Amino acid sequence: MTQTTTKTRGPADQFGTSVVRPPDFDEFWAAIMAEANAIPLNPTMEHVPLRSTDEVDVYEIGYDSLDGLRIAGWYCRPKESYLAPPYPALLIVPGYVSEPTLPKSWAKMGYAAVGVAPRGKLRSNRHFNPGYPGLLVNNITDRHTYSYRGFYVDACRAVDFVLTRPEVDPTRVGVHGSSQGGALTITTSALRRDVITCGAAGAPYLCGFMDAASLTSSWPYQEMNDYLRLYPDREAQMRETVAYFDGINFAPLITAPMLVYIGLNDDVCPPETGYALKNAMTCPTEFYAQPRSAHDAGRHWVMPKVEAFLAKHLKPAATSRHAEPTVG
Amino acid sequence: MTETSATRPADFDAYWAAVDDELSTYPAAPTLEALALPSDEYSTVYAAKITSIGPYRIFGYLSVPKAEGKHPGLLIAPGYGSVNHLPHLDDRQRYVTLVLMHRGQRLADQPFAAAYPGLLTLGIDDPASYIFRGIVADCLRGAEFLLSRPEVDTSRVGISGNDLALITAARRPGFTAVQASGLLFHRLMEARERSDAYPVEEVNDYLRASPDKAGAVARTLSYFEPANHVSTLNATTLFNGGGAGVQSLMDAIPGTVERYEQTHEGGTDHDWADAWMARQLGSVPKPRLWEVA
Repeated sequence: MTQTTTKTRGPADQFGTSVVRPPDFDEFWAAIMAEANAIPLNPTMEHVPLRSTDEVDVYEIGYDSLDGLRIAGWYCRPKESYLAPPYPALLIVPGYVSEPTLPKSWAKMGYAAVGVAPRGKLRSNRHFNPGYPGLLVNNITDRHTYSYRGFYVDACRAVDFVLTRPEVDPTRVGVHGSSQGGALTITTSALRRDVITCGAAGAPYLCGFMDAASLTSSWPYQEMNDYLRLYPDREAQMRETVAYFDGINFAPLITAPMLVYIGLNDDVCPPETGYALKNAMTCPTEFYAQPRSAHDAGRHWVMPKVEAFLAKHLKPAATSRHAEPTVG
Repeated sequence: MTETSATRPADFDAYWAAVDDELSTYPAAPTLEALALPSDEYSTVYAAKITSIGPYRIFGYLSVPKAEGKHPGLLIAPGYGSVNHLPHLDDRQRYVTLVLMHRGQRLADQPFAAAYPGLLTLGIDDPASYIFRGIVADCLRGAEFLLSRPEVDTSRVGISGNDLALITAARRPGFTAVQASGLLFHRLMEARERSDAYPVEEVNDYLRASPDKAGAVARTLSYFEPANHVSTLNATTLFNGGGAGVQSLMDAIPGTVERYEQTHEGGTDHDWADAWMARQLGSVPKPRLWEVA
């Protein structure tokens, strides 16, 4: 694989993706989800008075996932004295290196919000900790043990968690994040399409893995370039594996309305892969591409649109409030 | 009444002299291990371990260009979070780059692992026990380490980051240029009243539970207020964003000071900041924006 160093590129929306959907893609994921669904969730919630306010109660949560791992998260819900239930649920899914946020600002808007901490994140890394760098290429030559197999499922299990909550309206469940959070928005909306009402994905990572790595020398995709420099003979195995985890291959499964936003000069998640994702989606889609924006994906201008999109579909009670800007 | 962390404590100099004294009792005892995976034809990346106060062993990624001769140095101060990326290839080709992990961050998280949220208020009601006393010491030790490297042209060394970059450059002469953005400690006690966003919200959480400690917290934070450090900062300094909120801080710096107002176009802002640092260090810009053919 060669890395592009030119400062001139063709139009991102005319890029031809090299992603191929494996014929057994759906069967592969059906088997994984069946395995996950057979695992009791064993949800726990512990109130955190230190982080709670007059408007929002904060809980540290836990649940079981694939491979016997216990997954952590933050759950922030409006106090009933502030807003009456039921609440729409919103999963805030994390970026690659960022730790899961406490989504208090979303709870103030009226969402029962979960800050998801998939395996490897702090508090979910006792038995799985490939590190950073490391997560992206951990077992990348074997789809059955690749790190994102369990990682994607951990995010889906957060959907199962909110469905256990009596204060949550199960007909209004959204998901939102940027970068890796954008990727998890795509994969969760596909794998839990029976539940997800809408999703907003910024600068979606893990879409067009191999194309992206060839277009950038920025982290995290640079992990793949480093790996192939050391093990060039494993490129075919890598390509075979990541096809099963590519957001572009999940995209046609999504049925809920989605909002996707990208930066047209994103050196981390190349815009070419954002367009390939958009082109693969068959659900109703709002799409924003911000010139001269990089991995921020035009956040400064797009966040109001994200808030409005989520509010339109999820109908929280306090839309006059605003959320913290979502970073990947 | 709003407590302020801007007042310089009477024993400010003694507090930081004690940190320097403590650092001087521990040799850095550096070890370097070349890493095959990220090293390439342009640079070698090392896993560096050095000792800071405590004593505590901290970590850094040190990348050294393979080109002959000495090179400008760049210290990337640790951000607020558990992970700092490897140095970018663009920097690795131009600079001897040190990305530092302070105590508690990944790769420097044995025996202490930082919690997020939680780190910002750990020990905050006593300046002697506040975790950032050790974290600043880690940055000072990192600066000493980078400035001691034989591959570095010590007439051209930059540092970038948040308040830790400003404090480090103020307390360790030898830096040519400072690029500061995303300040956390500057007038934090006032900022907390305007924000409920993490990590500032950590202070609100703490004082909601312990309102009687507001005075003690303000006093502790005053030792970390960058405005109380920068009177010795002579490096050319750029504030990347911050608006009018950093004007008083700029005014307190005796050296050359500039401010860049961000456009919020990430590519534009990145390339402007990259070119500024390259100019200060006598290197070449490496823009990441590209044109569409």
